Amino acid sequence: MVTPDVVNEDDIAKLIISDDLPDEQPSFKAYIEAKVYDKEGHLIQYRRQPMRSLTQYFLALMAIPLIGTYQGASVNSAPGIITSVLGLPSSMSTSGNSANILWNWTIQIGSGTQGFTTSLESLAAPINNGTGAGELLYSTIGISYAGSAIYVTLQVTNATDTAVSVTEIGLQGTVIIQYYGSNGYTTTSYNFLLSYDTFSTAVSVPGYGMAVFQIILSFTG
Amino acid sequence: MMVSKGIEDIDVGVPRDAYDIGKDTPTFNAYLTVVVRDSEGRVVKVHRQRSHSPTANFIGLLLPLQYFLNCGCSYTVKNTGGSTYGYRPTIACNGLAISYPNSSSNYPSYLVMIQVGSGQQSNPYSAYSLASPIANGSGTGQLVYGQPSVSSNITVSGGEAYFTITQTFNNNSGATITITEVGIITYVQAPAAFNSNCNAVTGYAMADTYGQLLVWYDVLSSSISVSNGESITIYYTFAINP
Repeated sequence: MVTPDVVNEDDIAKLIISDDLPDEQPSFKAYIEAKVYDKEGHLIQYRRQPMRSLTQYFLALMAIPLIGTYQGASVNSAPGIITSVLGLPSSMSTSGNSANILWNWTIQIGSGTQGFTTSLESLAAPINNGTGAGELLYSTIGISYAGSAIYVTLQVTNATDTAVSVTEIGLQGTVIIQYYGSNGYTTTSYNFLLSYDTFSTAVSVPGYGMAVFQIILSFTG
Repeated sequence: MMVSKGIEDIDVGVPRDAYDIGKDTPTFNAYLTVVVRDSEGRVVKVHRQRSHSPTANFIGLLLPLQYFLNCGCSYTVKNTGGSTYGYRPTIACNGLAISYPNSSSNYPSYLVMIQVGSGQQSNPYSAYSLASPIANGSGTGQLVYGQPSVSSNITVSGGEAYFTITQTFNNNSGATITITEVGIITYVQAPAAFNSNCNAVTGYAMADTYGQLLVWYDVLSSSISVSNGESITIYYTFAINP
């Protein structure tokens, strides 16, 4: 007998989150990579560090494939995690037709730093997409997977002659609900910061250079 | 084409703290806790282990829209009966996406159960069903399945946050039952908004019912024996920054 007598749910709950289990490997690892190239295309810097900080929005988003979007087979309301954390409606108002849900990810980089909280919503100082001073030109996000690892890749180009310093990076998510309203199908979107990390030392993108940032989410299985 | 001709001149070694040395603070962890109670409700055993294994179904359903836009492809999901479907979420024509509650036409996608079994399989990632599921009932070798429940919110404590999925099972079979594997099964339906001609679909004329998908699977690090009259409660805990 391991636990001697009546244990209430609060006691059980304490068992759920407790000390680490040191003899077993973690079930998830995440890394951030940065490769920096000069204006001639030479690789001049390579950085890789563990990702540290997922937000509660990531947890809520990953709950969707786990628990679905309905509270039950005959309950036409979204689960509390989805509505309370992501702020999505419990049910969409539709005009005789369907609704479905999708999401997208992108990488945002910035030049500030800030403390982490699980409800962080944006970077401290996002670097704008553009060709002006202090801006970087963002390319289309690349997404791939291999087994249980997902790779998110962003290439940025510095169109100016002045270096741009990158000190923070986040995975941003957009949840899209597509539904049939009074004027046909339409969408409504909700934006979230899914992760936030600062670089241990700043990544400098040289004038007319470029950089490739990658976030790797690996469920080790 | 970019040529990295100066690569030999720079330090491209992986920083020491990026190696898998088992000391990195993980950003996400899943735990599996099994509490066994006797017929009077007293806890007689608590089993706790890391949960390791999202299945390929889970990874496919988690992939963002941009993946599908870039590749123009679909992701094959396989239900517990072995039938396969091409998942291809998109806002554009001929796309399917997970259903969402609404005031008109509902084809629910929902958590079916935590399922327990008496078998095991070596590659959890490719598992689409338990190796040997224990049926719901009070007959020989069966357990009475309770209803699954999910935290109504995420619990936040400092930088840590988690939610749980829970289900209780009772052994009324008249004999001891041994559990060796556990999985989460979710029922998924994916309606389309626009058909291949980009015309709005009406009345869910175009939708895929994937059925029951195994999205998470674990083999227990040690088997759990449930005597007749006992119950077990399984807690799946998903935590960030623990």
